[in-house]
Amino acid sequence: MIIENSAPAREERLKAGIAFCGTCAQLQSRLGQKDNGCLYAANRSFSQAHGCQFTLSLGILNSLRNAVVIMHGPVGCGFCSTANIGTNKNFKKLRDPAAGGIVWLSTNLDESDVIEGGEKKLRAAVLYADREFRPEAIIVASSCVPALIGDDVDSILENLERETAAELVPVNCEGFKTKLMATAYDAVYNGVLKKLTKYRERDKYFTENELSDKLWEYEKGRTVNVFNVGSMSRADELEIKRLLSALELKVNFLPCFSRPDDFRAALDAALNISVCGTHDDYYLKYIHKEFNIPYIIDTMPIGKKATARWLLKIADHFGVAERARLLIQKEEEELERALEGFRAVLKGKRAYVSGGEVRIFVTAEVLTDLGMEIAGFKGHHIDEFAWPVMEGLPGIENIYINIASQHPFEQANIVKRLKPDLLVIHTGSGNITAKHGLPVLPLFGPGYNYIGYSGVFEIARRLRRIIANNQFNRNMQKYRPAPYRSEWYAKDPSAYIKDTAGK
Amino acid sequence: MSAIIDRPRFGCPLGGALGMIRALPRTVPIVHASTGCAYNIYVGMNSGAGYLGGGYCGATSTPSSNVVEKEIVFGGEERLREQIATTLEIMDGDLYVVLSGCMVEMIGDDAQSVAGKFKNALKPVISVSTPGFKGNSAYGYDVVLEALAKEYVTPRKRKKANKVNVFGLMPGGDVFYKGNLREIKRLLNLIGLEANTLIGEGETLADIKNSGDAALNVVLSDVYAPLAAAAYESAHHIPCVRVPLPIGYLQTERFLHLVGGHLGIEGKFIGKALKSEQAVYFDYFERISDSYNDIDFQRYGLVVADANYAPAITEFIADELGWLPHLTVVTDELTERQQELLSKRFENYASGVKPQVRYDPNAASVRRHLSGSWERNRNHRYYDSFSPAVVFGSVFERDLAEELSAPLLTVSFPVTNRVVFNRGYAGTTGGLAFAEDTFGLLVAGR
Repeated sequence: MIIENSAPAREERLKAGIAFCGTCAQLQSRLGQKDNGCLYAANRSFSQAHGCQFTLSLGILNSLRNAVVIMHGPVGCGFCSTANIGTNKNFKKLRDPAAGGIVWLSTNLDESDVIEGGEKKLRAAVLYADREFRPEAIIVASSCVPALIGDDVDSILENLERETAAELVPVNCEGFKTKLMATAYDAVYNGVLKKLTKYRERDKYFTENELSDKLWEYEKGRTVNVFNVGSMSRADELEIKRLLSALELKVNFLPCFSRPDDFRAALDAALNISVCGTHDDYYLKYIHKEFNIPYIIDTMPIGKKATARWLLKIADHFGVAERARLLIQKEEEELERALEGFRAVLKGKRAYVSGGEVRIFVTAEVLTDLGMEIAGFKGHHIDEFAWPVMEGLPGIENIYINIASQHPFEQANIVKRLKPDLLVIHTGSGNITAKHGLPVLPLFGPGYNYIGYSGVFEIARRLRRIIANNQFNRNMQKYRPAPYRSEWYAKDPSAYIKDTAGK
Repeated sequence: MSAIIDRPRFGCPLGGALGMIRALPRTVPIVHASTGCAYNIYVGMNSGAGYLGGGYCGATSTPSSNVVEKEIVFGGEERLREQIATTLEIMDGDLYVVLSGCMVEMIGDDAQSVAGKFKNALKPVISVSTPGFKGNSAYGYDVVLEALAKEYVTPRKRKKANKVNVFGLMPGGDVFYKGNLREIKRLLNLIGLEANTLIGEGETLADIKNSGDAALNVVLSDVYAPLAAAAYESAHHIPCVRVPLPIGYLQTERFLHLVGGHLGIEGKFIGKALKSEQAVYFDYFERISDSYNDIDFQRYGLVVADANYAPAITEFIADELGWLPHLTVVTDELTERQQELLSKRFENYASGVKPQVRYDPNAASVRRHLSGSWERNRNHRYYDSFSPAVVFGSVFERDLAEELSAPLLTVSFPVTNRVVFNRGYAGTTGGLAFAEDTFGLLVAGR
């Protein structure tokens, strides 16, 4: 299989869409049509800022241990890394106490580089990174400017390879290429595939015999890779590890917070498991074809139902379904007892849930399981990976759903109509969301546990706490106005969507 | 030509521009750039500027044309026209500023003329070119203020003799800009001046609009805001005096005499105003003198900061705390002329102390400069180490401070380990806050 220079945009590869207003049933009917009912063709005449594939790529790249990231572009590209200086170091230390902080360089392209090309500076940056920091890998994330001026980053790195100790990884993730920021995951994996995904020799000692080989094969047959996501916490990982260990599986976590070399080690595994279809289909499908490792991409193990479904799919693969069923039963019983005190407080509360397409639906299952109601959804984008999770939620047909990568102006309008009791939101729009004056639970957070059985308990515990006092946001609503004109609230939320196919 | 940078302490022109617009009340940015630019800047600015937040319409509320491949190929002007029109419909503002990013500048979109088509809109729409490859955030801050001076400020023939405008502190880039401006305003009031700080507490767009009748512009920086200062001179005939950001009593005294001198205010009058400041200030300072002397609170200093803070802090710790600032690294990208100019700020200290000064924006270089200027421990039996010390810098200096076993006070962008509201380090109030925070580090374990 040939690895392309760059991963294709998701609007083309998956016919994914970013603009829609309607009910869940209407959305499902579009998804059921050819090319997802041309959802990918819709856009907006008014748009607001959101992440691009460059910023999202950094979510993974900045987390890698023992690697240096070069932001190949003008000095501002990768500025968002500032937010991760302290947090990433702490999160890395949860995986390896000796881990260092994040290091990145900017090639700082200026006007003359725009004319002459950025090759000279890129070479200088790679050599500086190699000599100054001696990392395992140097990752070059290319932004819009080098893409437009035609810097051939792959060849430049190829030519530099003999001069550096580090592996040189090109990640072509220019923001203007796609309206779907999730293309970032494909862009990162594309680079990982080019340089880091190679078989490694097994270390063998003289004293090893045939039995050692057999043991090694056995071990490999029980090893699984779980593909984590930047929005997960170490506590989430430990919960997954706990559950899979109960099925006697050995778990590796990739790609976030791993070391570059871990991608090689991960090829000695029996199964690749996704925790979120939005993230890793591009990589897992390739590894399946090229290295013959099967994969499971299904639901996200958040909430009782989805966690059970996820665990059973894995257990089935290893022929231990019965054992998994017993585990699930025992876990659910215990969780049920723990949740008793929370249901009364949460019952009947109406939540508006916004964020990634997979995560909102599994989270909705947790909320309804706790006796709450869903007032509405917002999904950052939509494609085939929403299918299995939407299927798992009967009775959502008439619930209003907005597909919008952030775009808090639509959210402001919709929330005013739906009048929920609380909001579950994706990071990035807190300044506007606060002004709804409602309690807010973040949809995810790398510092909290959401996944598995312990995750359900944690969500319930936090919901009760957040609902108990909402004074902060009430004050924000009272004293700080939102920036939208009153005329906007009178219009239909879809007023600025240009949906040529759907109307 | 600019050089590669190891962990830059600033963003691009679009970043500086968005920081400035974030500071302007009821002003709506319209970013004409790739999808991602404005959000990337928000994420970096929010955390790096002590949790500044998106404010009225920043973060993901920022209107942005989000150009993709199609516009790059066919041109983005039509998309921008549409975005300006819809922004005027939806977003409630008193001023709209179009900011153009790298891609649309490279393909030659004429944002200025597109914005010009909205001349008859109810509220003004102006356009500023802020591509990332044109410089850094200091340039972006400057070029927005320049555009305001040229296109928004009302020309006034008659100047008020006692009115001054104050700028030169980049919102966000200077994490404490708002607290600093409040103090500068207070100090200038003490000597009878009406100070318009443009983006300070309680100030509105009207203050910017009415800044054309000032007698003098006070630019609190040796290097920032050259374009804005020049625009005020040419368009409004307001001369400019550049004074360094003052921290502490001694620098405040010099600052007031300098500004007052330019406006013909009598030195005696200024001296009188300073007298009560002095009494209040040193009364507080006196508090720590017990412990300073009982415990020995003198330290070596390592200062790593931008062109505004580095000289001010270095002098403050030398001449007011009585410390030994051994090494100062100035982290901006500066021309040789600017470096020469700044170097003068590190001379003729009252204490007679002479710090070593380096100009280097690279994060990993600080360690090299320190080990190059202080003899290393070669297993000496008696080693004269760089301790006890305090590091004044950004969060990038955290690892080095840990290595040195020295406490770190984060004062220069990025400051991700503190929440900053109205705290300022300028003037006498700021000097007290600075001393408080610094000595606070020394007693934190008690």
